[in-house]
Amino acid sequence: MATRVKQEPVSPTSRDVSSPPPGVNHNSQIVEREQRILNLLQKSTKAISDKEILLEIPDLSPQDRATIINNLLQKGFLDVFKQGEKLVYKFKEPSCPSKIKGADNEEKIVYSIIEKAGNKGIWTRDLRVECNLDQTTLNKILKKLESEKVIKAVKSVAAARKKVYMLYSLEPDSSVTGGAWYNDQDFEAEFVDVLNQQCYRFLHQKKEAVKNCKDGPIVAQNMASASSKDVWKYISELGISKVQLAVQDIETILNTLVYDGKAERSVLADGSLMYRAVESLLPPPGIVRTPCGVCPILKQCSDIGSINPNNCVYMTEWLE
Amino acid sequence: MSIQFGKVCSLILREHFGEIVGKVGTDLYKWGQKPLMSVVSSTKLSVEKVRQSLCILVQYGLATFSAGRSDRIAEYSLLPEKVFSLLRYPRYLYLIKTKFGVEAEMLMEEFLKAGFGSASRIIIRAATRLKEKKELEDASTNFPLLRDKFVSLVNKQYLMRCPAPEKTEDGKPSLIPKLTVAENQLYLPPTLNIKALTILDEGNPADAGDEGVYWRINFDRFHQDFRDQIMVTAISRRIDENGGEIIRLLLQLMYIRTEAWAQISNPIPFTELRDTLRKQDPQSPILQHLDQYLKVIEEDSSGFITRVGDSGGGQYCINMRKSFEALAWNCVENIIVERFGSKAARIFRLVKDRKFIEQEKIQQIAMIPAREAKQLTYRLLQENFLQIQELRKSMAQNAGPNKSFFLFHVDLEEVARMVLDFSYKALYNATTRRELESEENRRLIEKKNKVDSIAANMRLQGAAQEQLDEIEEMMAPAEVELFTKVMNRVQKLSEAELHLEQTIFLMQLFLNYSTK
Ligand code: SF4
Repeated sequence: MATRVKQEPVSPTSRDVSSPPPGVNHNSQIVEREQRILNLLQKSTKAISDKEILLEIPDLSPQDRATIINNLLQKGFLDVFKQGEKLVYKFKEPSCPSKIKGADNEEKIVYSIIEKAGNKGIWTRDLRVECNLDQTTLNKILKKLESEKVIKAVKSVAAARKKVYMLYSLEPDSSVTGGAWYNDQDFEAEFVDVLNQQCYRFLHQKKEAVKNCKDGPIVAQNMASASSKDVWKYISELGISKVQLAVQDIETILNTLVYDGKAERSVLADGSLMYRAVESLLPPPGIVRTPCGVCPILKQCSDIGSINPNNCVYMTEWLE
Repeated sequence: MSIQFGKVCSLILREHFGEIVGKVGTDLYKWGQKPLMSVVSSTKLSVEKVRQSLCILVQYGLATFSAGRSDRIAEYSLLPEKVFSLLRYPRYLYLIKTKFGVEAEMLMEEFLKAGFGSASRIIIRAATRLKEKKELEDASTNFPLLRDKFVSLVNKQYLMRCPAPEKTEDGKPSLIPKLTVAENQLYLPPTLNIKALTILDEGNPADAGDEGVYWRINFDRFHQDFRDQIMVTAISRRIDENGGEIIRLLLQLMYIRTEAWAQISNPIPFTELRDTLRKQDPQSPILQHLDQYLKVIEEDSSGFITRVGDSGGGQYCINMRKSFEALAWNCVENIIVERFGSKAARIFRLVKDRKFIEQEKIQQIAMIPAREAKQLTYRLLQENFLQIQELRKSMAQNAGPNKSFFLFHVDLEEVARMVLDFSYKALYNATTRRELESEENRRLIEKKNKVDSIAANMRLQGAAQEQLDEIEEMMAPAEVELFTKVMNRVQKLSEAELHLEQTIFLMQLFLNYSTK
């Protein structure tokens, strides 16, 4: 998507005519402004447009703006996108080989592969396959790049001991870190469980509250339902979470309740998700109230052989 | 049919009718259909014994016969599903007692004991027992009441007429009688001469007006009630009591227009439902919100009813097949919760919801640590609750293992069959253990029974309290204590058997509906 910005309003030749001759003064001003725009781009997470640049530097002439943008583009500091009719710019970590100065070709290849992997990173094995280098050379290169803070290794939550490499400046994707539920590669199961219980409590209370509702079942059901946002608010106010949770995180938790068979989910016309506590259709079935129904060795048990109902300890215990 | 199923069947038969009938039943189960002599040769029992056993089995409706390859020789076959009815006796009796009262329960008990019988005989026997129970002078005072109960049991189709041998053209009985009963007579109540009953009761010959007409229990009718009860309870739990009541009424209306075991009922108009409800209770609080209730039940994930049309204020169908699918899912999920924990059940439901899913996705969505999720998933796989499907990325023959991925899914029918199978096994185990418990203490139990009957006799003869105490003391305190303990154990095991029977009932029903 990156393109060169067309210098629409003024062609290079006409600029020479219409603008003041580029003096030393002007040049240093451009350098200074280029830095300011770069800062602006770096600070903003979203792409910015010409308007925002003008807000930062109101007296920037269109020609200068074009020069600066082109300069930055050339240095690989930004990407240009088209948003509707407008052009917007987004900061990009320059892939400038200058960062790995003095690098040999092999290093460059490794670097470019890692760069391509973006913030999802790349696994050493895949890396080796792609760059076609032998293990020792690759390790050496990786170590060097790592010590120069060009790349970094991030532990992935997908598997214990699985490391992925990505550029040093990148924030790892949540599929790598696991998002709110991971603390340094460890899945915080207890935290999830607590949230799961609290969410259920909230929904359950709502359901209990409408038990004697006289206005018909639909009203009762609506009153018992809560949007994910409601639950999110409740959980946030409880203050059980050290990290700031997003509504989506709560939806993830609420979905586990759905899969626990304790809640049901429905979608409103405006697309928002509603959750409601439900009772299961049946009480625990008869079979689980017998020792054999929950017996771990049921498969091995028979009336001949050493595991049999007549000398079974589970039975004896249960019968006591 | 599985081996486990056969084992349970023969065990049940043995318990109720003794060793020999058990043997004959097992033999029939194994071979399907076979003639008398071939049972004799494979069981090594005498012809007389086999004949008696077959007779018993046929009498109780547990076996049938028909002409085999040669139309001069009858071949017998066991009806294994019917054998399970023997387990449900307490439930049948309880149902009749709550619906029709003690007298009807007596009638039913006589039927269960005898397998079949004429109305007059059964009524006289029930009357005699009632007399003993209530310590009445005369059994005949109960006749009118019992007759009425009998008629209502027939009217409600809990009893039905036994088929009778068809008359052949030449009037001689055929070699292998064909048993038939006319449709219109099946539930036609008998007309009984009460006076004749009294005469019969006194031991004199009389004609009660039902010569040659025999009755038996219509087990299907009971099972229909059990089925309905499951559905009503389920909706009561899910929605509320009113919701349950609506399902009950809908089922009632379903019978008017649909064959009882159909997969889907014919449409029931809203107006008819409303009128029925109003007739039943003009003040019913449900009336006001009836349409809402129907909507809520319809929208519930269980899918018990579906709206099929708009005429008559909306038309509703009961979807039996879907209902029992939902119930079977629920039952299996509950079993998983108890056997493998709630996390495993979460995984199971997730797989059910996604139809096909990869391991990676499971741990992500279920929010269970990767290692635990993997363990649980494979545990479920190993125990056959989950199935796995391999999907190849490339069609190449020698594609390596990471060229294909594995998807988990659930085949509910498969799982239901497996659950049934281990229910049979558990049932078999519980019964075996119960027999052992009472066998081990047989002497003690016999002694206790003897003591009890002596005491009862003496009490009747008006013995003094001291004498009675003396008799009681024949049992040592330790013996009494042991006896209660043993009885408790036996009781507990019998309860377990009843619980198991309920799971079996539900699963069988699901499979019946889904494979019809
Ligand atoms: S008898 Fe004992 S060992 Fe056998 S299945 Fe039952 S509980 Fe398990």
